[in-house]
Amino acid sequence: MVEIQSYLILSAITFIIGVVGVLARRNAIIVFMSIELMLNSVNLTLVAFSAYLGDTTGQMLVFFVMTVAAAEAAVGLAIVIALFRNKQTVNIDDINILKW
Amino acid sequence: MLTEFGNVLVFLIIGAIFVAGGMIASWILRPHRPYPEKLASYECGEEPVGDAWVKFNIRFYVVALIFLIFDVEVVFLFPWALVYRQLGLFAFLEMAVFLVILLIGFAYVWVKGDLDWDKPKPEIPKIERRPSAMRASVKPQVESVTV
Amino acid sequence: MVEQTLHSLSQFLPETTLTITFCISILAGLILRNKPKVIPVISFAGILLATVFAVRQMGSSQAVFSGMIVVDPFAVFFKLLVGSTAVIIFLFSIYSQEVQSTLKRLVEYSSLLVAMTLGMFLMAGAVNLLMMVLAIELTSLSSYILAGYTKEAPDSSEASLKYIIYGALSTGLMLYGISILFGLTGATDVYAINRSLAATSVNSVALLIAVLLIIAGFGYKISAVPFHFWTPDVYEGAPITITAFLSVASKAAGFAMLIRFFKISFIDFNLLAAHAGGVWGLLQGFEWNKILAILSVLTMTLGNLVAVWQNNLKRLLAYSSIAHAGYMLMGVVVLNDKGLAAVLVYFMVYLFMNLGAFYVVMLVANKVGSEDIDSYKGLGYRSPFISVAMVVFFISLAGLPPTAGFIGKLFLFAALLDARWVWLAVVGALNSVVSLYYYVRVVRNMFLRDPEGSTEPIRFSFPQMAILLLLLVPTLLFGLFYSPIVELANASVLMFGVR
Repeated sequence: MVEIQSYLILSAITFIIGVVGVLARRNAIIVFMSIELMLNSVNLTLVAFSAYLGDTTGQMLVFFVMTVAAAEAAVGLAIVIALFRNKQTVNIDDINILKW
Repeated sequence: MLTEFGNVLVFLIIGAIFVAGGMIASWILRPHRPYPEKLASYECGEEPVGDAWVKFNIRFYVVALIFLIFDVEVVFLFPWALVYRQLGLFAFLEMAVFLVILLIGFAYVWVKGDLDWDKPKPEIPKIERRPSAMRASVKPQVESVTV
Repeated sequence: MVEQTLHSLSQFLPETTLTITFCISILAGLILRNKPKVIPVISFAGILLATVFAVRQMGSSQAVFSGMIVVDPFAVFFKLLVGSTAVIIFLFSIYSQEVQSTLKRLVEYSSLLVAMTLGMFLMAGAVNLLMMVLAIELTSLSSYILAGYTKEAPDSSEASLKYIIYGALSTGLMLYGISILFGLTGATDVYAINRSLAATSVNSVALLIAVLLIIAGFGYKISAVPFHFWTPDVYEGAPITITAFLSVASKAAGFAMLIRFFKISFIDFNLLAAHAGGVWGLLQGFEWNKILAILSVLTMTLGNLVAVWQNNLKRLLAYSSIAHAGYMLMGVVVLNDKGLAAVLVYFMVYLFMNLGAFYVVMLVANKVGSEDIDSYKGLGYRSPFISVAMVVFFISLAGLPPTAGFIGKLFLFAALLDARWVWLAVVGALNSVVSLYYYVRVVRNMFLRDPEGSTEPIRFSFPQMAILLLLLVPTLLFGLFYSPIVELANASVLMFGVR
């Protein structure tokens, strides 16, 4: 039996990797992958707590988080494609018309 | 004597020594004889054509997007299937509403032509780096080796 | 189960109407491909109908869909606010060049506006964290796309990309906070969270982290510092109609959710019963209002100070709207009904003055082709009526009498001083002074500078003027006759399940 702490620590680590990825990586596609990682660590936490508390609410939440993640990825990629057609780049540093 | 994690640590150290030792030993013992095919990436025996990082047709992304959305929505059918017997017609109608809304999205995609795959002129991905170019960059002495 | 759901559906008419409108708009767009101008009419009618249904919900107070959503005066107030904003935005769109020049995509424009309105209606009523997330997502996903609506313009796509990256990040943070809160309390329903927090004491560090993460999600929606980075870029890059919609409706819906979450999750019902006059205490010894106070000070100070340097009027209004989020947070900090009523009053006023300012920017941009402050030089002589209207909106935004903005600020500061939050009131007042500076800068350009280039008078059509009057008259009128909006606000602070 794996204890709940292990799950929580693992999900915290993946979540932090995801956040750092969003903030530090410069490729828009990798940024979206990092966001997926964040949302998946949320799912892990929810499932772990759900099993620990014996409450299926958490598992139900996971379904919705998955859908939200898919919708977000789809819209995100669509926007990246639109931007790529304009500027021929997916590098966030090159996307800099608007500032301060 | 050792805690459980201590055992793991010992295993880790032994494992690292084993891997490093093997690599160092083979580096010392092996003959040093490079030739161009060794530098090429392994493509099941085929000669690789260009770089893996070519630009794909943007249609692949659009189809992937559409697939992603409709694929994930199916996740809601599983819990529904579990309670279907208890709720009967009511559950059926609820899911029908959900699916009709999905179908509207599908109709939108269809009418907008995102499912069509008409390619007036197929675009061959531009290859920037040929293996022959890589071959030239390897030292000249290599050429004398018979393959 | 079946009867319950059917009953819930009867209390869910505004949202159902919007959902059906959305579906019909898309289908009609597919069928009537040669007449794209019909679709906005359908969407407009749907939103109008939904707003009427929301009016009919006034006074009702109940939970529907097994406690996912409530219909109470507080929710109805925000539904009306969002609904009327959407109606006004549709009127704006008739005269927006950005929208009308892309007729082919008019279907997507109007149906996504309906989807966004639906998301905000749900945000107003959501009492379950799951429902809150889904409502935020529905609103956000529609607004990401709308922000990039003029996709030929590179700054629009860029705004869209920045918006979705920040949005997805804060949704991720919020969801992680929710997952921790679920682990601590075993519930996602705010009432159940409240009961759980009242019954057992939880690990305070974990609770703090969870709630801070959830604040990140709300803070992004209301564009509070430090979650505001998307705001100026999106406001500048998006079409003006969308910017105006985001600045009022999106913020209002975010505030509705923030207030509901904090009030219901952490209210101490024993203390509430002990104090008369709607003062409430907080559970678990955390003074969340102090965190919100810090957020409020940061938000208004940064918003106002950065606005001073802006040369693009849309960007200036973006920072000004950040500052206004800070003012409104002050009302949440005091934790009593008076403070909440002040926030609601402020929102009603803010609706008219902020939409008015954006409308003028849009009209001028249509004719002049630029949103730069420099292009407003001498506008007072080229188009006196528009310029005077802009001055009124700016005076109101700065919070000077005799406009409605003054009434909004007056009630906020009165609530603050009542609850002995003197330092926060002082910071707020100082900020108003700073804001006066950058508003006056634009006014000076309009009246005290000679026009550069063309000096011909700019004329606007009668319906355009009528829409402007629709926003101008309330801005002035509510400054003098404010008792109706105050009464509405006082009646609307009531939430289901509290008291």
